[in-house]
Amino acid sequence: MKILKIFEKGFQTTNKKLRMVVYLWLINFIFSVLIVTPFYFLIKKDLPRSLMSDQILKGTGLLWLSDIIYKYQDLLPTLVGWFLIPALLFMLLYIFLYGGIIGRIAAQDKKTDLTSFLSDCSKYFLPFLRVFLISLVAYLVVFGGIHSLICALFNLWEKSASTEWPLILVSILEFLILALLFSIVRMFFDYVRVRLVVEKSKKAIRATLLNMSFIGKRFFRAWLLYLLVGLITAVFGVIYLAVYQPLPKIGVLLIVGFIWQQIYVLSRMWTKILFYSTEYHFFSFHKEKV
Amino acid sequence: MENKKSYFKLLFFILTLSFIGSAALVGEERISNVRYEIWVELDDQNKMLHGKENITWLNNTRDDVQDMWFHLYYNAFKNEMSTKIQESKEEWFEAFRIKIKEGKWGWVDVTSINLVDGTDLKPTMEFITQDKPVHPDDQTVMRVFFPEPVKPGEEVHLQLEFESKIPMSVSRSSYYQNSYFIAQWFPKPGVYEEGKGWNCHEYHLDSEFYADFAEFTVHITVPEAFVVGASGKQIKSVPDEEKKTVTYTFYQENIHDFAWTANPDFIKVERDFIASEEVSPEEYEEVARMLQLPVEEVKLPDVKMILLIEPEHKSQIDRHFKALRMAIKYYGLWYGPYPYETVTMVDPPFRTRSGGMEYPTFFTAGTRILTSKKVLSPESVIVHEFGHGYWYGLCANNEFEEAWLDEGINSYSEGKVLTIAYGPGAMPMSFQRIPLSWFCKLPEYYNYELERAVAIHVVELDPITTISWKFHDRGSYALNVYFRASICLHTLEGLVGQEMMLRILRAFQMRFRYKHPQTQDFIDVVNEITGRDMSWFFEELFFSTLNFDYGISSISSKEKKKYARGVFDVDGEKEEITSKRIKKMEKEDKKSDDKKLYITEVKVRRFGEARVRGDTIMKIKVVFEDDSEEVINWRGQERWKKFTFEKTAKAKYAQIDPDNIWLIDSNLTNNSLKRKPSRKGIFKVATELLFLIQNYIQCAASVS
Repeated sequence: MKILKIFEKGFQTTNKKLRMVVYLWLINFIFSVLIVTPFYFLIKKDLPRSLMSDQILKGTGLLWLSDIIYKYQDLLPTLVGWFLIPALLFMLLYIFLYGGIIGRIAAQDKKTDLTSFLSDCSKYFLPFLRVFLISLVAYLVVFGGIHSLICALFNLWEKSASTEWPLILVSILEFLILALLFSIVRMFFDYVRVRLVVEKSKKAIRATLLNMSFIGKRFFRAWLLYLLVGLITAVFGVIYLAVYQPLPKIGVLLIVGFIWQQIYVLSRMWTKILFYSTEYHFFSFHKEKV
Repeated sequence: MENKKSYFKLLFFILTLSFIGSAALVGEERISNVRYEIWVELDDQNKMLHGKENITWLNNTRDDVQDMWFHLYYNAFKNEMSTKIQESKEEWFEAFRIKIKEGKWGWVDVTSINLVDGTDLKPTMEFITQDKPVHPDDQTVMRVFFPEPVKPGEEVHLQLEFESKIPMSVSRSSYYQNSYFIAQWFPKPGVYEEGKGWNCHEYHLDSEFYADFAEFTVHITVPEAFVVGASGKQIKSVPDEEKKTVTYTFYQENIHDFAWTANPDFIKVERDFIASEEVSPEEYEEVARMLQLPVEEVKLPDVKMILLIEPEHKSQIDRHFKALRMAIKYYGLWYGPYPYETVTMVDPPFRTRSGGMEYPTFFTAGTRILTSKKVLSPESVIVHEFGHGYWYGLCANNEFEEAWLDEGINSYSEGKVLTIAYGPGAMPMSFQRIPLSWFCKLPEYYNYELERAVAIHVVELDPITTISWKFHDRGSYALNVYFRASICLHTLEGLVGQEMMLRILRAFQMRFRYKHPQTQDFIDVVNEITGRDMSWFFEELFFSTLNFDYGISSISSKEKKKYARGVFDVDGEKEEITSKRIKKMEKEDKKSDDKKLYITEVKVRRFGEARVRGDTIMKIKVVFEDDSEEVINWRGQERWKKFTFEKTAKAKYAQIDPDNIWLIDSNLTNNSLKRKPSRKGIFKVATELLFLIQNYIQCAASVS
């Protein structure tokens, strides 16, 4: 089956699972609101009664921004913790949610309701947690080893540079390599999770080892499919910016801007499901062939 | 043969100096009391400079001077025991620490030092470390003793030979591959101050320079492939076909330092600043009116602009020249005409770490290959470094001791030029060296906004007038002398008015051209030009660490009650007014056309320790719901004060300092207070933050 055909199937499956998009958005929204709430009250304490709040409507201004930074500079360590801990918790939460996402994709035409979604989430949580721990080792090897080695080689070139050009190229190449390596590791472990669900297995190490040969045999096709969905994610980002940037942030348009932001977040959830849908169909197709 | 050569050389030197000496007079006053003639050869292979230096120093004080102190700045890079490197090790921020690779140290050796009559002064030579805290192994200041004291009005002629090893890729003066930026490279006398002795500080991490005005004739010999630029005007170039070298001679009078650069890749471009094309008659008239000077006095001369630029930045040649033209125009119009024939702008050679630095008639800019036109870089650095030609170059303050006098005034001036020439610039943000403003609209800002944003953080750390190396750390030094000083000058401008501020700076510049002004001189000029005693302004904001913060602490509007409950004496009788009766009377009042009266109470507070003094007052504006306004003045001495208004409308908001004069105020948010809160701005901040967090946690989830 050609890549585009698989992509089409994944696309159709994703569109059948729109309810799941809403679940994911809702979880993301509630989680974010919990993080933002203390800041909201902090700002609400000072700004609404100051004329400075009118300046905020005109856009990012250093005068009001510097006032806030100056006032809350002592809170910086708390802020770092406040942002870091929820991010880690959200990572854990997603390990839980992946079971629901892939489980419901694998259920194909079956209805996606909250009960079945949560049931799949809990069913695969422990195996997926093991996959996550294995993936950490992989990230360490790839970024601590391979990426660092490539960077060290680039640095040798950069050190003897006569102009800024090598620095620019190295900087871009390092980022590109980082992004591509990340996509490979990420894709690899996506397929491990898909395998566990398709095979209704809980053996994370076995699935990882089997996946090596599966991906090894058809790496470029799998990666191309992954990058294709990645490209769609990027296109959504560009569309979001193209509309949001020129949008005046006043009056009712403030609400319009907020809705547009949420549509973008929804699009991110949609692409998240698209990733797994396409991977599921790719895996199923090749597994059937074997 | 060799002796004969030297004799003719000396004769030529003396004749040259007598000619130069007569040229260096302004009216009856002689500007320069030092003359240099230097011969220097660049040894590209070994990264060395071989130099000979003739110095004539005039004792223009009433003291008998028995010694001479010299700066040997290159010794700051000789070893890790130098004051500069020792101080850098104390910095908490890794990037501020000076690290020199092994084999790449720099130093200067004075191999001989004689009086012109042949008296050898080398046996008296010693290194001095006077600055506290002491770094006894520093070798950046040297002293020699004369056999006889130099009497007032006498000149002393010295001949030196020196060898310098150029350090690699360190601050301001260094080499990288075959590119050189050479500054602070020759033994340079300190400044002799009458009654005090030599002012000659060690080379510190956080300090720049101080020297007497001098006349320089410098012969620079480099391999023939090199393109050379330097302070002053190139008067000749003599190739030596046998040695495959070229000797360039530069000459400049009335400057106090000399730097040069050599790089085979430089593209040299020359353009003219033609005053008649740059400034219209209307602009001259307007400036003359503001400065209260005759138009003839504000007329600008033409200037030869020279640019040495790296080939990879070739596409930015016009950008560089436009910024320089704007700087020459506005600094010239506002602060006085640029007095030299040339100005040389250098795109700093790659990795020589020499960017953004000023030397008389010569400065380094700094740019990148990928730039955005919305971001004012390299414009800001060009305007700033050219501006130092005025604040440091001409008004030559002691940068070791009062750095704010040039850095602060110049940052203020730079902001004014950028505003009039370009408007606000976008935030200089980039990703992997690619400017983000290529892809999205970044917030724009004026210089003063950024200056205020950072200045408020260091107010309580050090006074602006702290000696350069005695600031808490490098951050405090930079933020205080550049940004806090600049924002205080913006505040001063707000207090005295824009035109008065121009007159202050013009008077300060013209009065102290070719002199060494101090902070008190600036204060005196401010007081004289404004006709007010503004000394308190400097005491509160420059010499102290007091936080300035005035604000509105409360605002309320209540209906004025016409009636009150209780027992009242009416026509000799006791009469009780009850609530019921009040209600009835109020009902009757409603039928009449009498408007309700409201009592508005506004409480203002001085949250900070700093306060306004002298004849200055804090303005308070109260705006009411019928759009009427009340403006009142407060002397601002008490910790708080209550103001009461009786109006037919409730208050909308109250604002202290409504004209935003006090930009140094550390909390502008509390400068205004609405009676009723408005949530629109908060909604915007909250939604933006929410969206940011939504994406942030989603990214975090991608790793799991």
